[in-house]
Amino acid sequence: MFAHRHQPAIAILLSLVLITGTVPPVFGKKKEPSPLAGRMADSQRALHALNRLTFGPRVGDVQRVLDMGVERWIEAQLHPEKLDDSALEARLAPLRTLRMSTREIVEDFPPPELIRAVADGKQAMPSDAARHAIYMAQLERYEKRQQKKQEAANTTPVPSMETQPGKMTPSPAAGDEELTRRQERLEAEARVKPLLDLPPEQRMKGILQASLENPRTFALLRGDTREQLLQGLDAKQQETVLALNNPQQVVADELMEGKMLRALYSERQLLEVMDDFWLNHFNVFLGKGADRYLLTAYEREVIRPHALGKFEDLLLATAKSPAMLFYLDNWLSVGPNSDFANGIPRRGPRVKQRRTVARKRPQANAKGKRSGLNENYGRELMELHTLGVNGGYSQKDVTEVARVFTGWTMKQPHLGGEFQFDERMHEPGDKIVLGHRIKGKGEKEGLEVLHILARHPATAHFVCSKLAQRFVSDDPPRVLVDRMAQTFLKKNGDIREVLRTMFTSPEFWAPEAYRAKVKTPLEFVVSAARASNAEVSDAMPLVRQLQNLGMPLYGMQPPTGYSMKADAWVNSSALLGRMNFAMTLASGKIKGVKLDLTQTFALKEPSQDTAPQVSNSEQTLALLENILLAGEISPQTHQTIAAQLEDPKITQRKLDDPARPPNIGAIAGLLLGSPEFQKR
Amino acid sequence: MSITRRVFLRNSALAVVGTAVVPPFLTRAALGAVEPGTRNKRLVVIFQRGAADGLNIVVPHGEPSYYAMRPSINIPRKAVLDLDGFFGLHPAMAPLQALWQQQHLAIVHAAGSPDTTRSHFDAQDYMESGTPGIKATEDGWLNRALKDMPAPADSAAFRAIALGPSLPRILAGHEAALAMNNINDFTVGGRGAKPTPIANTFEAMYAQSVDTMLHGTGQETFDAVKMLKAADPAKYRPAANADYPKGRFGDSLKQLAQLIKAQLGVQVAFADIGGWDHHVNEGNTQGQLANVLREFSQSLAAFWNDLGDLAEDTVVVTMSEFGRTARENGNRGTDHGHANVMLVMGGPVQGGKVYGRWPGMEAGQLYEGRDLAVTTDFREVLGEAVVRHLGNANLQNVFPGYGAPHFLGYLG
Repeated sequence: MFAHRHQPAIAILLSLVLITGTVPPVFGKKKEPSPLAGRMADSQRALHALNRLTFGPRVGDVQRVLDMGVERWIEAQLHPEKLDDSALEARLAPLRTLRMSTREIVEDFPPPELIRAVADGKQAMPSDAARHAIYMAQLERYEKRQQKKQEAANTTPVPSMETQPGKMTPSPAAGDEELTRRQERLEAEARVKPLLDLPPEQRMKGILQASLENPRTFALLRGDTREQLLQGLDAKQQETVLALNNPQQVVADELMEGKMLRALYSERQLLEVMDDFWLNHFNVFLGKGADRYLLTAYEREVIRPHALGKFEDLLLATAKSPAMLFYLDNWLSVGPNSDFANGIPRRGPRVKQRRTVARKRPQANAKGKRSGLNENYGRELMELHTLGVNGGYSQKDVTEVARVFTGWTMKQPHLGGEFQFDERMHEPGDKIVLGHRIKGKGEKEGLEVLHILARHPATAHFVCSKLAQRFVSDDPPRVLVDRMAQTFLKKNGDIREVLRTMFTSPEFWAPEAYRAKVKTPLEFVVSAARASNAEVSDAMPLVRQLQNLGMPLYGMQPPTGYSMKADAWVNSSALLGRMNFAMTLASGKIKGVKLDLTQTFALKEPSQDTAPQVSNSEQTLALLENILLAGEISPQTHQTIAAQLEDPKITQRKLDDPARPPNIGAIAGLLLGSPEFQKR
Repeated sequence: MSITRRVFLRNSALAVVGTAVVPPFLTRAALGAVEPGTRNKRLVVIFQRGAADGLNIVVPHGEPSYYAMRPSINIPRKAVLDLDGFFGLHPAMAPLQALWQQQHLAIVHAAGSPDTTRSHFDAQDYMESGTPGIKATEDGWLNRALKDMPAPADSAAFRAIALGPSLPRILAGHEAALAMNNINDFTVGGRGAKPTPIANTFEAMYAQSVDTMLHGTGQETFDAVKMLKAADPAKYRPAANADYPKGRFGDSLKQLAQLIKAQLGVQVAFADIGGWDHHVNEGNTQGQLANVLREFSQSLAAFWNDLGDLAEDTVVVTMSEFGRTARENGNRGTDHGHANVMLVMGGPVQGGKVYGRWPGMEAGQLYEGRDLAVTTDFREVLGEAVVRHLGNANLQNVFPGYGAPHFLGYLG
């Protein structure tokens, strides 16, 4: 019999056969009446809900939602805490950094700043064998870099009058360097070769030993050798080996992998959609310095717990989060009249040290560090997080808000710092924000401003219109946004209530909203993998696909976040990218992604006694249309693909081999790359 | 120029018609070029990401305080390629010296953004959106520059090109724009001169889509793919005197030249080059800055030579998010500053001149006592290219909120 997880597909197959007696040859013609004709049919309601509240329906999801009742299913999604997600948790288990505190992350996967501190003797070298090896490898790298800098500084540049115009002057050392590197690589490969056949525990010991003897060993290895070394090691050991090469990358990769796996496999799909929504709303860029390791806790402790909670709690949590304080520079913002700016000492030694530094390097402040007010956060807080750009604030408000938030800083951002309010950096005195007088009272001023902003009608409107843009349409009906904003204000920014208002509004279910949204690259990639029941053992290749499609995870540099509107994502290179991704995915050529459509969907390999090739291909097409698109395909697309079924390149049929099955991968790829699949 | 050029074009158009295997759009493009007013003007924008040190790129060697403030990283007067007795090029820019002498290279010094942020990403964002200080702008100015302009007669597919993996901010927006990482990979279902069955099927599907955006973009896409296959830009080898250096930037410009030479109707194009953020050991005549500057200058010179006659209709503008501190820092490098230098080169450019007002480098003249002050808004430089070269007079749409009072006149 078939494995348990194949049942949904079989259910569809069976029900089709039961209803029609056979698989309809041209499915498109038998469609239910277009939703534009009036109300959505029940199956369309289920599909619509799935398309909006999840990262895309999986096989059998429509039926499951129908069985449960659309309203009950939505209610269940609104209470994710009651949904069992243990299967996902098991998949996330090897990604250990997702559960580590920032402090632990920094200690296990040291950033350059920590390595420098160890090199300067300000921080102790860890004694734990694995950590020790990682630190030693990074220390070696750091010292090499320092040495190079020293050399560069010592060679006095010679003014050269005879620079050859238009000609490259290759550095004489370049060729030698290349040779040396190749030699080093060969040696490193030779060193680890004896380790490959050892059992995991012994191999791990050998790896650490080899790394201590020659710290560059693992940076030099070829990718496939590294992979061989990882075979059979447990999660922690694998992380250690990878960290010997690049500790920071381990943290970033696990974060991205975790996000991809959640989107693919979480049963709490609405929570994941909202997590993604708020991460984008309160955008923080993974590529900005310390945010490489601050983002893990940011998503886990700041965004996800509040994703369906109260907006004000979410806003406050972001305001105090090291990730945001660092990203928008508020941790550096100093009140111009603060003790800090006036050089009034807290304790002797610190200030003395600062003065010495300042004398030695008159430009110590040249990078703008801790030199005064930084308006970055104050502006984005109102423009992007709360009121919206037309929310009725002035430049004066921006400056005043920046003054309010001076002193909201953190300790040692590069060493995993935590939020702290530093009275010495705080601008004294009253401030006026949006017409409110904020009495000078330290940290509490910020809380007061956040409270005002969180409950401001402009905020309600701005946030609700963004939500409606994500869930309903690029230009959501004003009446819907107004209704949601009313709920927002009445229920003190209760996000769950706002969503409920939206999901029960006629505009959400209007025919105009049906399949009206173009998927973002993230939605496209994840929905394709979900629709085709892909088994993802390594999410990184999919993560990299998103980079190709222009939407790297956590990779939006400006604080605006990614656009949710179609015109940002529909362009030529993006469409080609989607088509190519669809073909690659469906043909099972993405590493780490197992996709066996034939087996998964019990598509029969035709044997000698099967029907002629044509109807066989058409059956396959009809089935795949049901599986991948819930049958929602235009007659034109159907006929276009059907017309191709005879093409030998699609069928992979050779002249002497007429019984070859249709190329399921090619047909599925065409469907996933079709215009219909680009929408939700 | 115009008469000889038209004769040349007419002759080449006829030559094109005479050969049998030329795709029709190519003849259209060549024929169309004969008619007055339809010649394809193009603007190429180059971004030096990371804040290039303009003071060591176009050196104010007549400014005593320049040498006083940069004891170890200055470009000695005898090493500078003198331009006008006051300014001179960094020696690594020797490949561009000929362009200056032919008056096809103009320089705008002390240009920059009125927004004083010293954050790389904010400043880049503002220069690409064209709205300094306003984050909420969704599209880029180079995209908006196309809005009121007629598309080239043959096709809009290649109007706006970015060389790189994704569409940069500067080209985001309403008008169709292509991001091409590698022109050889711009296809679906495999390479080769003929479209594959897969590509044909996709094309038919998108052609029939009722979604207007997918339909329209699909059409553009497959037009572009087919045009590219037919034009086979790979066959336009670099000209003999186009010596592109190794590296991504040189490759980008080489591919852009191929697209332009294939007459694909490029109106605006964008490429970028990183590696300018030299806080430590910047070097002087040799060193980190010299290396990247050499790659930059060689690439631009090669591009210019490669374009040949087509350079007559091309203007190239370079920019970087902000300049660097007037003084060197404690690490023989420079920190984030304010004003910078922009280069403009092209056939119609009245070069051989440094434009803009020099603010001086004395203590009282520096911005916040540390940076070169901005005397020319970067939009003034770009706006002139948009209005006078591309012929788009609606500058209010390209740079909203910026009423350019006058232009520098580098385009006459």
